[in-house]
Amino acid sequence: MNAKKKIAYSMSAVALMALVTSCGGTEGGGDAAGGTEGEPIKIAVIPPTSGALAEFGTASREAWEYAAKEANDNGGILGRPVELVIKDTDASANTTLQAVREAVTQDGANFIGGVMTSTEHNAIAQQLEGLNALNFNSNGKDDALTGADCKPNSYRIVQSNLMDINALADSLAELPGETWAIQAVDYSTGHDAAAAFTEAAEAAGKEVVTEQFAPLNTTEFGTYITELKNSGADALFSVEYGADGVAFVNQADQFGLTDQFDTVLGFNMVSEPLFETLGDRIVGFKNNVGYDVNADNESNQSFVEGFEEEYGETPYYVHADNYLAAQTLFAGIEEAGSSETEAVREALKDLSFDSIVGEVTVRSDDNQLLRPSQIGEVVEGEDGELEFEILTTADASVTTPEASDECTM
Amino acid sequence: MALDLNPGQQAGTEIPGLPKATNSPRRTLLWVSIAAVVVLVLGLAVPLVLTNRYYMGLTLAAAILSFHALSVGFLAKHLGLISLGHTAFFGGAAYCVGIAMTHWGWSPLMAALFGLVAVTVAAVPMGALIMRSSGMVFLMLTLALGQALHTISIQPASRDITGAHDGLQLQAADGATFLGIDFYALLVPQSFWPLAWVMLVVVIYLLWLVGRSRFGSLLEGIRENEERMRFSGFGTFVPRVAAFTLSGAVAGLGGVLFALNAHYVSPELLSFLAAGDALVSAIVGGLGALLGPVLGAFIYTFSESFLNFGGNLQLFMGALLVIVLVFFRGGIAGIVGTLYGRSRRKRAQKTTTTTTARPAGPAEPAAPADSKEPGA
Amino acid sequence: MIAQLLNGIALGSLYMVLSSGLAMIYGLRGVTNFAHGSLYMAGAYVAMSVSANVNFWVALLAAPLVLAIVGASLELIFFRSLQDRNHIEVGLVTFGLSMILERVIVLVWGEQTHTVSPPELLTGSMSILGASYPTYRIFLIVVALVMAAALVGWVQYTRTGLYVRAASRDVQAASVLGINVDRVSLIVVCVGGALAGLAGALAAPYISVSPTMGMQILITVLIVVVVGGAGSIGGAMVAGMALGVLQTMGNIWVPALAALIPFVALVVVLLWRPQGIAGKKA
Repeated sequence: MNAKKKIAYSMSAVALMALVTSCGGTEGGGDAAGGTEGEPIKIAVIPPTSGALAEFGTASREAWEYAAKEANDNGGILGRPVELVIKDTDASANTTLQAVREAVTQDGANFIGGVMTSTEHNAIAQQLEGLNALNFNSNGKDDALTGADCKPNSYRIVQSNLMDINALADSLAELPGETWAIQAVDYSTGHDAAAAFTEAAEAAGKEVVTEQFAPLNTTEFGTYITELKNSGADALFSVEYGADGVAFVNQADQFGLTDQFDTVLGFNMVSEPLFETLGDRIVGFKNNVGYDVNADNESNQSFVEGFEEEYGETPYYVHADNYLAAQTLFAGIEEAGSSETEAVREALKDLSFDSIVGEVTVRSDDNQLLRPSQIGEVVEGEDGELEFEILTTADASVTTPEASDECTM
Repeated sequence: MALDLNPGQQAGTEIPGLPKATNSPRRTLLWVSIAAVVVLVLGLAVPLVLTNRYYMGLTLAAAILSFHALSVGFLAKHLGLISLGHTAFFGGAAYCVGIAMTHWGWSPLMAALFGLVAVTVAAVPMGALIMRSSGMVFLMLTLALGQALHTISIQPASRDITGAHDGLQLQAADGATFLGIDFYALLVPQSFWPLAWVMLVVVIYLLWLVGRSRFGSLLEGIRENEERMRFSGFGTFVPRVAAFTLSGAVAGLGGVLFALNAHYVSPELLSFLAAGDALVSAIVGGLGALLGPVLGAFIYTFSESFLNFGGNLQLFMGALLVIVLVFFRGGIAGIVGTLYGRSRRKRAQKTTTTTTARPAGPAEPAAPADSKEPGA
Repeated sequence: MIAQLLNGIALGSLYMVLSSGLAMIYGLRGVTNFAHGSLYMAGAYVAMSVSANVNFWVALLAAPLVLAIVGASLELIFFRSLQDRNHIEVGLVTFGLSMILERVIVLVWGEQTHTVSPPELLTGSMSILGASYPTYRIFLIVVALVMAAALVGWVQYTRTGLYVRAASRDVQAASVLGINVDRVSLIVVCVGGALAGLAGALAAPYISVSPTMGMQILITVLIVVVVGGAGSIGGAMVAGMALGVLQTMGNIWVPALAALIPFVALVVVLLWRPQGIAGKKA
């Protein structure tokens, strides 16, 4: 699809809208992308407040609220206050789309954050140019969002699955275990991860003896666990996340499965919010870590300190990725000297800036934020609470050397 | 066994197979036709009056949901059957459009026709299977149909076709248009509205004609007492399948419009919850009246938008459903019908002699005067 | 292979407990209780709380008790006053109630997925015919089978059971014969609720506790009841167990089609025998 032409079409759609509007009198909400001095910079934050992902929705909202408060306490961005337009969704594409339309056309926001799933991002991606708004994706990791389905107005702040898988693959040689079993979700993420893992394992001189896929939303893993027990593997690579991951880890423990492996390497499987639920079962598990809360840089230290003071809890990756989205947006606005959609989009092209995860760059080829991916091990901290100990860090130049050639913008 | 779900549709006065006893059918036809044309023309002006883009978007979403609700309502009204599986036709048609455009490179118009034809054709064998049942078994079979399709759509094996959980973004060739509207302008509620509105009014008008035709009377006869219809020498199976196919086509049309407007399709369209949306709309609006489901779709869409705070949408919708079912049988249209009937009876100063076996007041089919849609 | 068979039986046991309650309510009131999934979910959450604050054994009693009370209110407030209504209408009322109940549960307990640890006595594995298998799952199977036997015994050999059977067959005739149908119905809906609570409590350590657990299992259990023969308790038990085993074996042998097994089973059975496996002729 020729991007310029596509923009031209959506512009004609906008023009048509303007025509209709002018016939019928002035519009209530005012058009998006206002940019005059003193007027607030409006950001729509649309995380799920119900459904299985609501917990992450709350974290997304907290991070954006913290970022906005921090910016406003420091005199705003370009001297203008930051205002959040918070909408609810149940993480279904349709509801989110309605909320996006409302936030943009009704409340005048022209930046969007906090949207959760890849399906939602896909649905709103279609509308962004018509709405003249930019979307900052801190949660959807599906590769296609910066691949075949990439869009000029969509930015991905979080690592893509591919980036994290490549980071795992990069460290595979150092992990104990010669014969590996793969348990993955029967979903693109699972299949992609399994394929990349198998390739990396062969390169590292290791063997994959079995791989099996369970449908998304599986609750009963007995069948799979029994097969894994009989596989004869000495290490496990598992791509089960969300409620599936919890159920899998819990049941694997009941079957005494994890005792027989030298390494249990998870992909998106265990993370800080699950530490309390999963408890001691996961000590020693290794997993990809999107964000290192102990990262030794000024921006991160000030974020963690300020956030803990504000909310009384330590931020984890969902907080961090959403805060990083705010950092990216603010950097873009400051670079552009304006909050006009068009100007910010131009300014973000290949923009580099210092962030909570070190220096990062917005790659203009696919609008992916280039940032490191890490592998960590779950350990019991000094205070008896579980935490990640970072084992390896892979730079973006290793995990995503080039933009996907399926992405044409 | 027939299920009379809607107290208002006590067709007890009819002799099965004979045309309805209407005072002057021709005159009614004329007036309703005129009313339909007037409503059609007035409705086209909605974007001029409703300049708020958000409310315009909601109005359009309600119109699209109306097709789905109408299709469910049609079966409930004429055959007393409750379907939880018309998502198969609504979502199925949307997927057909998506697949035809994205994978086969078809033009939007061809894809739309394909979507509509494909689900209508598919509805015939499905109807032949499912329509052998009624009541609870019918509900379960339709549920299974919708769920099976949903399950198939998210299978990784279908990923290359349906996009699995991610759904499909509709791709069109540069400069593609649909009935003269630029493909990307279809995303804009104002420019899409005329299309949806004209289709909606036409479908409602056609369903009204069907309802008062011999075929409609036949269906109601089947609903009341299928055995008796058979004894009277009517084949009941073919009409049932025909009704199922018709309702499938109506849902399919809605799905086609959805896909064209949203430019994406996702498995949610096939989900149990989508079936719930349509069914709740139809019930809240009123199953006894032709326009009930349309009314319900508008009420549902707008209240969904106003009640969507704090994540409690589901709570409110559940409460609404329970309240309507327990206290307002016949839905909103039922209330309107009762009030209308009461005032008319008062004026006419005479009592009707129909025997009502049920305590609730009759919900007459909403008069054309009620057809003004609330979003306008 | 033994272990896999046991996996199937464990899943089937859960379906069995859950669907027998649903079938009882359907048999007596003619109502498809769409809220049954939410009752199950409520049972799991109650069990989780009690288990965390007291212990699992108490939870195993508390969850059915609480849910029996919920069942009683369902009967007294809705089923009884709506008994003259069309059954599908009442079914849709329960659909609305389940939407309410699921949200209320989330408001009380939050959105997170939780795990519940089985009690000390039931942790670890034991050896069954040479296969090592988690003790808790064996416990679940035993509880379910005992419950099934007790239920069948109750319905077959007690006076109340006789009333239940009579009322399920023909409500009008039963009440003419002097059976207090309202009382029988109250008992049945209470027992149905309690069974859902028991299933929830058993599922908490077995699977996990999450806000979507009710919806996920509801459709499967509805299918089980219809396949078993609407209203037949024995039929539902047999169909539940069969589906559990079939699904598990399907996961091993035909993973691509396993998800479709319940639907295929439903269509095949209904076309072959519209009244279900054990259903009486309509």
